[in-house]
Order: sequence, then structure tokens, then C-alpha cells
Amino acid sequence: MFDFDATLPLMAVQFLLLAVLLNAIFYKPLTKVLDDRDNYIRTNEAQARERLSKAEMLAKQYEEQLANARRQSQNLIAIAQDDARKIGATKIAEAQKEAQAQREQAQSEIDRQKQEAMQRLEEQVDSLSRQILEKLLGPELVNR
Amino acid sequence: MLSVLNGLNSLTLASLEVGHHFYWQLGNLKVHGQVFLTSWFVIGLLVVASLLATRNIQRIPSGIQNFMEYALEFIRDLAKNQLGEKDYRPWVPFIGTLFLFIFVSNWSGALIPWKLLRLPEGELAAPTNDINTTVALALLTSLAYFYAGFSKRGLGYFKKYIEPTPILLPIAILEDFTKPLSLSFRLFGNILADELVVAVLVLLVPLFVPLPVMALGLFTSAIQALVFATLAAAYIHEAMEGHGGEEHEDHSH
Repeated sequence: MFDFDATLPLMAVQFLLLAVLLNAIFYKPLTKVLDDRDNYIRTNEAQARERLSKAEMLAKQYEEQLANARRQSQNLIAIAQDDARKIGATKIAEAQKEAQAQREQAQSEIDRQKQEAMQRLEEQVDSLSRQILEKLLGPELVNR
Repeated sequence: MLSVLNGLNSLTLASLEVGHHFYWQLGNLKVHGQVFLTSWFVIGLLVVASLLATRNIQRIPSGIQNFMEYALEFIRDLAKNQLGEKDYRPWVPFIGTLFLFIFVSNWSGALIPWKLLRLPEGELAAPTNDINTTVALALLTSLAYFYAGFSKRGLGYFKKYIEPTPILLPIAILEDFTKPLSLSFRLFGNILADELVVAVLVLLVPLFVPLPVMALGLFTSAIQALVFATLAAAYIHEAMEGHGGEEHEDHSH
């Protein structure tokens, strides 16, 4: 069980050769791959982080712009509503004034025509009453 | 125990051999052939998996590349946890290869029925159940942490032997021997014991009963690989940082 012989040094040499061989065909290439991949991932991650921060900045900027635009539009709407209210008020006032004027004109016309009619009526009253008198009393009596 | 097991060999279905080796003669050196055969299988598996994973490298991994990247990240985390962010990179291949080699060896021993392939003598098993393999790995770990200490701190490395107090010098020196000893024997003992337990259970009750023990064996195999790699990394870290003060200093910035 414990017989040492040339197996020992030969095995040691063989093992060292194996280590050298595996270093050439296994450790070195795969370590390089792992390191390359680490680098690749690290740079990609850094780039992605940069892009993300840029995108976030842009989003913030856009949001600010959006808020500004919204504020401006609200201002515009308020101004427009104000204007519309003013215009409406003046229009209504004008219309009322006009209506008032027309009514007054119509009133005066009516009054004038009433006056005329009354005048004409009064004129006719005399002749009619004379005619009535003539009819009742006879013309001789009347024209005396 | 071994004689009992060997005695059982002759009359049962499953066989169990410890201490029998398939010797190869290289000049006037003897080597354990079965250990090399399975270790070549393990090495081949690792190399093929690595080649498949890196054959067509994509930024978005899939399939085998994904799996091997997961393995690599596991190893890197292990090394990083022990050695710290600053120093871990040069040690990833050593610690990672320790982990992968031991892990695949252990699991190949637990999952692949090596024993169905007959050898003239001895039997195929996980490379880590041979003491030569584990001692080789442990001695390499010792060399690694000495190298780490010297390259990082120069001759100041020796200060760690007398650092808190020179009284502990014998213990500090002893530590350098116990570290590889414990590393190698822990791995060797665990893997061998696991295979023995499974083999003995198979001897006694051939069907189904050994399954839970085999599952437990998979678990301990993985844990042993993790423990070996983690301890190796911890020793290297200790050699680079020294005891006490400097370590806290280093962690504070």
C-alpha cells in the first residue's frame, strides 16, 4: 500500500505538465472571455445608465415644457373668456340701448299718430255735430 | 484486514486488491502502470473538455463552454477567497488544476467501473487512491507555497518561523512536514477507504445495498478535492502573508 517508487516524481511532472497545458487551453482563454465579458457588461451598463439619466433629464424637461404650455393655455383661455364676457356685455348693452331707442321711437310715433287722429277726430266732431244738429233741428234753424 | 480481504478474494464474485500493482519497468525504475493509465484518462478528459469549451468561444456562452466557465468561476472564487483579490490570479492554474485533477480522478474512480477492465496484475482505480499520486500532489503544494513565500517576501520568508516567538520554531518547522503529510494522507485515506467500503459491501451484499455508500462516496470525493485545493490555496496565502500583523494590515486597505 505504501510502496513509493518512480510513480511519484513522474506523477508530479505529469501534473505540472497538465497545469501548464490547461493554463494554455483552459484558464487563459476562458479567463480572457470572462474578463472581456465583464468589461463589456460594465461599459454597457455605464452607457445604459448614462442614457437613462439623459432620458430622465429629457423627460423632466418635457414635463416642464408641458406644464408651461398648460399654464399658458389656461392663461389664454382665461383671457379669451374675459374678452368674450366683455364683448357679450357690450353687445347686450348696445342691443338693449337700440331696443330702448326703437321702443321710444315707436312710442313717439304712436303718440304722434294718436295726436293726429284725435285732431282729425276733433275736426270731424264739429262738422259731425253740425250735421247732427242739422238733422235734428233742420238746416234753417241751425244756419241762423 | 487485508489478509482477510485477500482471503475472501478466492471465493467471491467481486474482488478486492490492495497493494497489488501493475508494474511497468522504465530502465531500472518501477512505476505503477494502472495509476498512469487512469490518470491519462483523467487528463484526456480534462483536455478534451477544455478544447471543446474553447474551440468556439462566444460572448454568450452555451453548452460545454458555459459548463467550463462555471467550473473556472468556481475555481477563481475558491482561489480568490483564500488568496485575496490582489494575488489570486497567478495561482488559479495551479489550484484549479489540483481541484480539477483530484475531482475528476475521484469521480472517475467512483463512477466508472474500472474493475471490469482486467489487467495482468493489480486493478484500475482512481489515480488518487495510490499514495504516490497524493504525495506527489502534496509535495508540489509544499513547493508551491515555498515558492510563493520566497518570491513574495524573499529571505524575509524565514521570519515566519520565529515571528511570534522563537520558542515555536520547532513547531513551525514541523508544520512544513505535517502539511504535505496531512494533505496526502487525507486524500489517499478517504479515497482508498471509500473504495474499500464499497468493495466490501459489494462483497457482502452485491445488489442495491452499496448504492447509498457509493452516493456518499461521490460526496466525499468532491469534498476531498475541494479540501485539497482550498488547503493548498490557504497554505500559499499563509506563506505570502506571514502570520499575524501583516495580514491584518493587508486586509485593512
